[in-house]
Amino acid sequence: MSRTDTLKALEIVLESFLDRAVSLKEDRLKVLDGINRLDDIALGFSDGADLTDEIGGWFAEHNRWLSEPVLRTGDQRRIGEILDSIRTGLETKQEPSPAQEKIGREIERWEESRKGKKLILKRGAEETPVVESDTITLFSNELTRLSGLFTDLSANQKHLLSVLDDALKSAVLQKNREALLLSGFIIYYLKQNRYMVEPYVRRLKEAEQLQQGESHHA
Amino acid sequence: MLDAAEKAYCLALQALKRREYRRADKLFDQAAGFFADNREFRLVRETTRLLVAVKEELGSFESDESNERTELEEVLTYGEKDELR
Repeated sequence: MSRTDTLKALEIVLESFLDRAVSLKEDRLKVLDGINRLDDIALGFSDGADLTDEIGGWFAEHNRWLSEPVLRTGDQRRIGEILDSIRTGLETKQEPSPAQEKIGREIERWEESRKGKKLILKRGAEETPVVESDTITLFSNELTRLSGLFTDLSANQKHLLSVLDDALKSAVLQKNREALLLSGFIIYYLKQNRYMVEPYVRRLKEAEQLQQGESHHA
Repeated sequence: MLDAAEKAYCLALQALKRREYRRADKLFDQAAGFFADNREFRLVRETTRLLVAVKEELGSFESDESNERTELEEVLTYGEKDELR
């Protein structure tokens, strides 16, 4: 495999990882985007712009947030603060238009719905885990596990080399396959950034041989 | 109001969704101060940086190949002109 082929393979892996990472945050991203847009509208209001239509559109699009458990407590607090600032802006107008009055009522309705909302805990039906056999799903799951492992190993560490050291130890001592894969990923990353990785490559090969030996004997 | 860094993080994730990796990388830089202790942020940011580096490396290979082709064409053109003279 040429260097270009290797880089292209890595490119595909990284793109896949980021796609998956963003996909996992899809719902959260929609919430953040909604708050972000509301914040932009509030900024426009404070600058004197008439964004009545925009805020009306925002309510129409996000009203379902009141009935679905998508908002965290912090999100609700933030939306409340932003809506308060918009309402304050509207109240300073001496002769609000009918549309602006309607927005004021929408804000009140939002606040009342939010405050009156009851917490309902639901539990879904018990399900037998579905066996995932396609390679894209399996690889995607593997990336998620690697991400979790990296998060665990990097806790309280100051440098990526320390994380790599721990990953290699886990690959050898615990025969952890994810740790082996994560080690390879980190080593290639460090190599691209011109670190001396030869000692780690040796340890990776030793760990790999050890795990292969284990699987042969199993 | 939202912190500028929070807005940047949100926009960075949207850029990633659209596969605009360079833009996401710059937006992550803007958000870095606020999210310095957020492991998830650091992982996605570093992965994006690595991907941008890989893409730049691949882009440079393509331009190198293009340069080689240009030089080859210039040599051939020069040879043809010599023959015409």
